Amino acid sequence: MSAEAPTSMETETVASETKLESNTLPPKPKFEPLKAHEMSDGRIQFRKVSVPPHRYSPLKKYWMDIYTPIYEQMNIDIRMNLKARKVELKTRSDTPDVSNLQKCADFVQAFMLGFDVPDAIALLRLDELYVESFEIKDVKTLRGEHLSRAIGRLSGKGGKTKFAIENTTKTRIVIADTKIHILGSFANIKIARDSLCSLILGSPAGKVYSKLRQVTARLAERF
Amino acid sequence: MIPSAMASSTETALESLHHIKSTEPPEWLVPKQELSQAVRAASKLLFSSLKPYCPKSPFDQLLTEGFDVEQIWQQIDLQSQPLLSSLRREVKKFEKHPEEISKLKDGGVGGGEKKKKVLEQIETDNVVNDDEDDDDMDMDEDEDDEEEEDEEGEEEEDEEGEEEEKERGTEEESENEGEEKGGIEDKFLKIKELQEYLEEDEAREFGLKKKKTKAESKKEEEDTEEEGDDDDEEDENEGSEDDDDEAEEEEDELGLFDGNDEEDEDDLENARYEDFFSRKKNKSSKEKAKSRDMLEEDSGSDDEQDVDKRKDGPSKHEKELDKLRSKIEEMEKANLDPKVWTMRGEVTAAQRQKNSALEVDLDFEHNVRPAPVITEEVTASLEDLIKTRISEGLFDDVQKARTSSSKAPREIKELDESKSKKGLAEVYEEEFFQKTDPASALLTFSDELKKEASMLFKKLCLKLDALSHFHFTPKPVVEDMSIQTNVPALAMEEIAPMAVSDAAMLAPEEVFSGKGDIKEEAELTKAERKRRRANKKRKFKAEAAKRMGKKA
Repeated sequence: MSAEAPTSMETETVASETKLESNTLPPKPKFEPLKAHEMSDGRIQFRKVSVPPHRYSPLKKYWMDIYTPIYEQMNIDIRMNLKARKVELKTRSDTPDVSNLQKCADFVQAFMLGFDVPDAIALLRLDELYVESFEIKDVKTLRGEHLSRAIGRLSGKGGKTKFAIENTTKTRIVIADTKIHILGSFANIKIARDSLCSLILGSPAGKVYSKLRQVTARLAERF
Repeated sequence: MIPSAMASSTETALESLHHIKSTEPPEWLVPKQELSQAVRAASKLLFSSLKPYCPKSPFDQLLTEGFDVEQIWQQIDLQSQPLLSSLRREVKKFEKHPEEISKLKDGGVGGGEKKKKVLEQIETDNVVNDDEDDDDMDMDEDEDDEEEEDEEGEEEEDEEGEEEEKERGTEEESENEGEEKGGIEDKFLKIKELQEYLEEDEAREFGLKKKKTKAESKKEEEDTEEEGDDDDEEDENEGSEDDDDEAEEEEDELGLFDGNDEEDEDDLENARYEDFFSRKKNKSSKEKAKSRDMLEEDSGSDDEQDVDKRKDGPSKHEKELDKLRSKIEEMEKANLDPKVWTMRGEVTAAQRQKNSALEVDLDFEHNVRPAPVITEEVTASLEDLIKTRISEGLFDDVQKARTSSSKAPREIKELDESKSKKGLAEVYEEEFFQKTDPASALLTFSDELKKEASMLFKKLCLKLDALSHFHFTPKPVVEDMSIQTNVPALAMEEIAPMAVSDAAMLAPEEVFSGKGDIKEEAELTKAERKRRRANKKRKFKAEAAKRMGKKA
């Protein structure tokens, strides 16, 4: 390697040396981008996502749907550590980009939060999607029946309010007891969060709908 | 007429009369010459026998030769009508005064003439000449004059009328004297005379005239001698005037009544100073005035004086006067007292007695229509109406007034409340495609539903058409509302537009969602400007508060 380099360089330097036999700086080295594998001094990178107990059986059910796109399209190794109850992800040598690993980790994390696989897959495909989580108590301190009622209000009858918000704002919402997770682009998350907060605070669904309509119409006009 | 001839004719006439009486009724059905002759003769006899009693008849005898039945009948009628009325009157008088019948009997010696006189007397009892005091005087004087001048041979029919009146006047006076009237009446004013005059007027109208004969005048004389001296004196005074009047009135029978009228008028016109203000008449005039004053309460003393003059307590007249006075007092009292509540105009319940409105028949104006009385007919008519309406289907339903919408109805974005079948990735995928490639039609949820519905309907139509062997009429063109999405026009037209233009499908007014009148800054009034600023401030404050809330 070192011999080769001088030879290539030599030709140039010979040329230059032939021209000048004085002290000149060596040329800049040209490097190719590092591969994921080579990052961190060639060490392999890992991500570990813990599996909550209520997501254990869905994971088992949808394992192949998760595994396939990660392993084949993202070129990330994935395995389930049953003993530790964790999903482990590892970079391979042919992983094109470092961010893939992070994306896969986010994808798996989203699934663990409660999102469906086709919804979570969007995380793999699109860059700008995020997951935001907050709790009901962050918005308003509710206790006992009020809390239950708030949760009920959020979902609506048969989940129709939640679906309405999802459809209009192009987001996906997961209401897990007192925790709320929203998956979508930044602006959409904001809209969804606003409507959810107003629902928590007590406004009726109709009002939320009308506001949603206005906002989305305004958003659509922008394009 | 020659009495002898008359006698023979009367005999034949009597015969014919008897003959007529004896004929049987059926014989009259067929016209016979002898019967008609007999009838004519009989009627002639009757006519002539009645003629003395009927002064005004123009015919001396009934003219039957060459006259029509109708004409004969009219002659008879002309004679008999006044006669009938006079007879009726006399019968009435006989009814009232049966003693007169005895008088009649006594006076029967003088024959019919005397009877006539008595009848006249009876007649004129009730006639009082009140208005024509002078007339009375005149008549009295005339009578006296006549008595002086023509005591005999007064069967001239010219002056019968005058005599009548004079008779009546004296008779009246005599009667009045006999009755001793009260203060109101005196030589001038006699109520009885008034009555008599009125009746006499009536008789004149009916053409009834009473004959006066010598015997009658004699009777009057006797009567007049009973009177006081005043009458004679008065009569004498007026005699000179009345002579003239008498002289003027030498006329036929027919002109008698006119003469009488003239006499009366002349008396009125020739009222002289002496009538009112001669030595004797001063008294009478004073008494007249007094009598007039009697009607007032002031001259009660005169009444009393007159009453004292008269004998035998309150006379009829006085009684009447008392009645009248009491009546007057009553009426005056009623006028002075406060009126009855019914006559007082608007009266509230407090101003009248309790339950006094119940006694009075009050008339109300009811502004409310009275409740309809439900009878069988009413219900039957109603039911018929209902039946006809139902059969016709003509219900008076309220038609909704359609508000004409000028704008195209906006498409309302429907919120899909079901779980989306697409994954989030697909959603963003579509969004991306829409951004880059606007022509790709974005099927909203409602559009998809509509598509589904139209598909189903088409299938159904196909099946139905198959039933009718595909002979069908095409659907009528119904102008449907076209929904226009606010997509840039260029986008719809071009397949692959590289640039996106601002021109949108919807017109500005369709996009615009404001209300009311939009004013520019320059057009606003001060108040409006203030209002806008206040709104702005309010919004700003709200937003600021929100932001603070979020930060916190």
